[in-house]
Amino acid sequence: MNLKRNRKLLIKLSVAISFLLIAAILLTGCVSGMAPIGWSGVSIGNNGMAYAGSKEGKLVAINLTNNAVQFSDALKIPPATGLSCASSSGSSGSACGGAAPAVAIYGDPAFVTDVPIIGNTVGNIVVVAGYNGVVIAYDASNPRTIVWQYPINGYLKPIISGVTVSDRTLYFGCTDKNVYALDVTRGIEKWRSTLGDQIWSTPVVDNNLVFVGSFDKNIYALDAGSGNKVWSFPTGANTVSTPLLADGVVYVGSLDRNLYAIDEKTGQKKWSYPAGNWFWAKPVIVNGVIFAPNLDGKVYKLDINTGKPVADPSDLGGQVSSWPVVINNQVIVATQNGKLLSLDTANFSAGPNLISSIVQNVSAPLAAVGSIVYINGPDNNLYTYNISNGAKTTISLKQ
Amino acid sequence: MNLGPWDIAMLQWMINLLIALSHFLFNNFGLTIIIFTLIIRFVLLPLTLRQLRATKAMTTLQPKLMELQKKYGKDKQKLAQEQMALYKESGVSPAGCAIPMVIQFPIWIALYQAIILVLAVSPEALLNLSRYFYSWALPLASLPMNNNFLGLNLAEGNAALAVVVGITMWVQQKMVTPTTQDPRTAQQSQMMLWMMPIIFTFFSLSFPSGLALYWVVSNIFSIVVQYFVTGWGGLNFSFRRGSKESGSDRDRKLKKRLAVEEAARKEIANKSSDDAEKEGIDDGKSGDIRENSGGSDQKGSNPIKRWFGRG
Repeated sequence: MNLKRNRKLLIKLSVAISFLLIAAILLTGCVSGMAPIGWSGVSIGNNGMAYAGSKEGKLVAINLTNNAVQFSDALKIPPATGLSCASSSGSSGSACGGAAPAVAIYGDPAFVTDVPIIGNTVGNIVVVAGYNGVVIAYDASNPRTIVWQYPINGYLKPIISGVTVSDRTLYFGCTDKNVYALDVTRGIEKWRSTLGDQIWSTPVVDNNLVFVGSFDKNIYALDAGSGNKVWSFPTGANTVSTPLLADGVVYVGSLDRNLYAIDEKTGQKKWSYPAGNWFWAKPVIVNGVIFAPNLDGKVYKLDINTGKPVADPSDLGGQVSSWPVVINNQVIVATQNGKLLSLDTANFSAGPNLISSIVQNVSAPLAAVGSIVYINGPDNNLYTYNISNGAKTTISLKQ
Repeated sequence: MNLGPWDIAMLQWMINLLIALSHFLFNNFGLTIIIFTLIIRFVLLPLTLRQLRATKAMTTLQPKLMELQKKYGKDKQKLAQEQMALYKESGVSPAGCAIPMVIQFPIWIALYQAIILVLAVSPEALLNLSRYFYSWALPLASLPMNNNFLGLNLAEGNAALAVVVGITMWVQQKMVTPTTQDPRTAQQSQMMLWMMPIIFTFFSLSFPSGLALYWVVSNIFSIVVQYFVTGWGGLNFSFRRGSKESGSDRDRKLKKRLAVEEAARKEIANKSSDDAEKEGIDDGKSGDIRENSGGSDQKGSNPIKRWFGRG
């Protein structure tokens, strides 16, 4: 009798606990993007290959002649610092999604030519930074061969910023508050500059100055040779987006909902323009007009000299967090609600044209070669759309 | 933007309120979670009180329900009728315990979903947060929130805070756990008393400690409210009679006390039955516990009626 009763109790208890566990997991953070997944874009090399960070934490090389994955290599998962998705370590998806643990890759890989690979052999490398806090340079012809990695041992804090290469130096920001400059041929640190808070924005370089936004509510110009601060420009909130440089002016959006134009040399504000939500994506400039996507679902079209709107903003009906590209004098934009749209740069008042319906929640920067736009989707597929003839392909990055 | 009905109805206003509140609380998200949790719990206080009162009333009825079970256990229809009659007479509704809890449940879920979203523990979460902003000028300078609070990183699990969640939840559970004669119910109560704190301790370790902070504040609030409504409840024995008594000692004493009360009740019932026979009066209800109930439910002194009369 007692045995029977205990069994019944055990069953009831198991059901209750299971229900509670499932309910809690479904209803809390794991459904709300607690785990870092990554939104790496695509880098197109001059060797007929495209390189992208996959949602499985791998650098994937795709042969563009046959759209086949040629190589891939998984970024190393750092030792766990937490029990599950609450952890800020590099691994993701371990406890929440049920997927295999993987390193999130946020920044686009960088393709660098003419780098000594083995001995005196000169070749191309592709460099990628991961949420595991490691920057790795692979042989571009075989991404299973690591040319160098930084740091050689251990891990930095998670890297969300992309990498930029200029004058044989590689720059990236880190959530440890530092901007790093490495010798791109050997991965040796040249300098690091400590700012006030973590850095998500990808540094950009012009006229021996490195421009980067920080979570300390400032935009910085650093000396590219030494890392010393040249000027800082205060904004009302943190900066996530990557600055755009044109004709001696830094254009950068902030989480204070403003787009700023700052003189590159002096750090003085030229103008600012307020919008309805955060400026997250890097804008583009066409014919003297800056096209700045905003998370309010609109693309603002402003005169680059005055900051005045040249037309009403184009309402795309969905947030834009991925960087647009320019193809055939059209601004190509992907929205979070699954639309690939084009904006006319000859007639600013014209509404957006729908090119195609695409996968939802695209956050990766778009890339373009000729009339083909490349989209690294959140579903671990790489999509290509030919703007001229409407041809589409889907390449699975799953390995 | 592209928000579902749940997001618009529950999450959006909570998130905007959290962000606005943090602006006035020195951009301290830990303090914001504490104050926000207290605000929500105070707003829900009428429902909480109603639930606690109903639970207390149900607990008080337990001995009578047990007696009915014994008396009409084989006749299910009669048992149901008698139970309904007892509920009606006492002014207690069994649904009174559940309905306020059901109403509060979505708000609790939304509250900790909002906290998770505002914590923005991953880049995707920060981007996702932007969907919830109202168009009016929010003080966004503090986003993402400063996750440091008293040395804790609110975006990561914390073992010490997880233990505090477990302890406060155990105390709260202990206060509401009714003392019962039914060994099966007692066993279930004991299981729940321990399982809930263990599960929530595990969750607190696994999820951002900002959530754990919410649970701690919420538990302490519940403990305080329960103390004022029902007293220490299940914690009575530990606090009043000394903690050296073991659980089995307490159970034995409780059973002994209940047996004495039962005997006294029977004696009163027999006596009144004899008196009625002597006077030649038999109203046919001498065995009805609703008329002859002993203990605290004497005529004119029903604590449940007094309580509900007050509420």
